[in-house]
Amino acid sequence: MPEVKLIPEKWVDRYGDYLFNFTISRVNDPIMAQDLVSETFLAGLKSAHRFKGNSTERTWLISILKRKIIDYYRKINSNKGKAEVRMSYLSNSDQEGDWMEEKAQDLRNPNVEDTIEQEELGKALEECIACLPERYATIFVQKTIDNLETDTICKEHDITASNLWVIIHRARVQLMECMNKKWHKDN
Amino acid sequence: MGRFFINCDEAKILSTREQYGDLNPKEAFRHKLHLGHCIGCRSFHKNNERFQRKLKGLKWVALSDTQKDSIKKRIAESMKK
Repeated sequence: MPEVKLIPEKWVDRYGDYLFNFTISRVNDPIMAQDLVSETFLAGLKSAHRFKGNSTERTWLISILKRKIIDYYRKINSNKGKAEVRMSYLSNSDQEGDWMEEKAQDLRNPNVEDTIEQEELGKALEECIACLPERYATIFVQKTIDNLETDTICKEHDITASNLWVIIHRARVQLMECMNKKWHKDN
Repeated sequence: MGRFFINCDEAKILSTREQYGDLNPKEAFRHKLHLGHCIGCRSFHKNNERFQRKLKGLKWVALSDTQKDSIKKRIAESMKK
């Protein structure tokens, strides 16, 4: 197996959007998600010397990000964090008491169920993407999520258009199988 | 004159490319012709379309260029240290 080398200069372009999506579906706050992604890259940089190359760059960054997300929830569940959350609600004195209404989801609203299903589907897809080989995942995300032009992706990875479509096709087949398994297991 | 008939492997790749609007009229015709007589590829194509609809329904978010630049800056600064 070829040794995996870290290329921090390319992290943001290669994995930024993927990590951001991964985070936002778990913390529901775009600003916090950006911070967590940013901190993940910095933590990766700090512990780069400990990277043994046994996993891919993306898998390694995801594992750091997962720890960051856990730390974030630990923090907001701690007393200090709870106080911070309370303060942020109390600071808008006009809207005091409105927060429960604002935050509670109305389950009678059919859109809520759709949203929940979308979120679950999104998480399942992210987990399935994480199981793909590094190259397949990167190219699939670039074409499907980032909507990059075929030529651009081909140039970046030094592959032909036919290779690109074979990779995307294989990635999709694996994702469909993975999603089916997950869906049947969870339901 | 190019081939009219394609095999199942080619048909599946065309099915995938069709999800991204990448087929030219000739390829689209060949693909349709294949689907007309191949049950397996027809079923694969249906699943592929369903999967694409699900993907389109998902709300993907991306970092803006400004957000990316600010993260890149932080990484660059940290690398200098």
